[in-house]
Amino acid sequence: MKLAVISCIHGNYEALNAVLSDIDDCKADEIYCLGDLVGYGPHPNAVVEMIRSLDIPTSQGCWDEDIVEGLNACECSYPSQLAEQRGRLAHEWTNEVIHPEVREYLATLPMTLKKDNLCFVHGSPNSEHEYLLPSMDGFAALERVMSVDADVLFCGHTHVPYVRNLEEATLAVRVKEPGKGERATQLETPVKKIINAGSVGEPRHGRPNATYVIYDTDTMQVELREVPYDYKLTCEAIIDKGLPPIFAWRLARGMEFAERADDPDHVCQR
Amino acid sequence: MRWAILSGIEGNLPAYEAVLEDIKRQREKVDELFVIGDSVGLQGDNEATIKRLRAPKPGELNPQVCIGWWEEQCFCLHGLSGLPDAPELVAKHGVEGAEALWKSVSRESVAWMRSCHFGFFESGCLLIHGSTMGYADELTPETPAIQLCDRLIRADANALFCGRSGRTFECWVTPEKLRSTVTTLDEVQEPKEQGKTPRRVVGVGSVGHEPGQASYALYDSVGDEVTFRTVAYGRSKGFG
Repeated sequence: MKLAVISCIHGNYEALNAVLSDIDDCKADEIYCLGDLVGYGPHPNAVVEMIRSLDIPTSQGCWDEDIVEGLNACECSYPSQLAEQRGRLAHEWTNEVIHPEVREYLATLPMTLKKDNLCFVHGSPNSEHEYLLPSMDGFAALERVMSVDADVLFCGHTHVPYVRNLEEATLAVRVKEPGKGERATQLETPVKKIINAGSVGEPRHGRPNATYVIYDTDTMQVELREVPYDYKLTCEAIIDKGLPPIFAWRLARGMEFAERADDPDHVCQR
Repeated sequence: MRWAILSGIEGNLPAYEAVLEDIKRQREKVDELFVIGDSVGLQGDNEATIKRLRAPKPGELNPQVCIGWWEEQCFCLHGLSGLPDAPELVAKHGVEGAEALWKSVSRESVAWMRSCHFGFFESGCLLIHGSTMGYADELTPETPAIQLCDRLIRADANALFCGRSGRTFECWVTPEKLRSTVTTLDEVQEPKEQGKTPRRVVGVGSVGHEPGQASYALYDSVGDEVTFRTVAYGRSKGFG
């Protein structure tokens, strides 16, 4: 079975349409979505309506959560104060235009979706805000996959797609308890994968094209897809709606505007 | 350097006094005293325990105290963090438990607990009530190895001393090997082999939870050696 996994659409209707057409061309059997349907982009309601009309199973992203719960993430969600100010503006705009039924729908989204040995989350199984970067410690990454009893963990949130194979992991454990003596065990795990689906509507891999992944459950093959679309239409809409122009500027370049999180492993406790 | 590491006094002042006596009796001098959370609870006199912690007697070690699960419940009840109806506390100890805790800790003591640390990092060791995941994270010898490994990596520590479980144990975790290969849109990166030296999670026991029997840990930071102590006190002491 061929699965298409999309993430981080961020109110970019043009990009979503292009990706859905590409998924059609690839003849995927099912589509899963990893959240962040809204935020940054100019068409949050249209994006949510499209996802709902296609009945696409979707996990909740951090932006979806913020629209439901109110902006409650700590400063760790943004790489800089400037980015935080821009994010706040985008949140306020989205919060204002979002339809009540769309907000209600976003509130129903689960944090985690499971299908057999596959798990779908926005950030990580711990939090919608945690970044699973490809450079993360291998054993810590392995823990995220194993914590949800999966072989393949699909995530988004970083906006840069990648596949990470974790193989031949071996952990030795020796336990000493007073009165119970000492015992030793060894843990060996089969191949585990983390697949980051990138971003449909706000890519940050250095090009403006939308990204997503196709996964074949029979062969375990992953295809990272890059889909060109008319991003200028979205950029114009961003400007027209009065959103910060920098969102259009970076969308046209596929980059995160030169700012990096100081502590990307940090998990927001709020 | 020798450290005494305690957790879970839970307001049981006689148990704490018994441990202090045991520390004094040690042939090798103890240099530091850490209390890693749950100083208050439902096992005795919280106010008297806090007073004792804040004002050690002349010649006694000055305890370095961090917050634990029970302190967090106090913060909830006082509207300082979390949810004001303290759902974790009510689920475990009922409304009566919440009421008892509310009545037994003054606002001044809560303010003092608020000023305590979340944990301590000394000589490559993290001393914390739960783990870096949170105050409620309960690590035990039965915790999956990969989870223990993750908590050690998050802490970037060689040893993690914790108290949430109330149990005494040492778990040595050795992440022996792992091959990681990353593929991006533009390249397949060279596989990376990863392995780490052994690290350990140490449960330091509980001073006040088990009536008549207090447990704690002594740690020799030079020899990297842990010794667990069990101290009988009150009625269970001696030939009864």
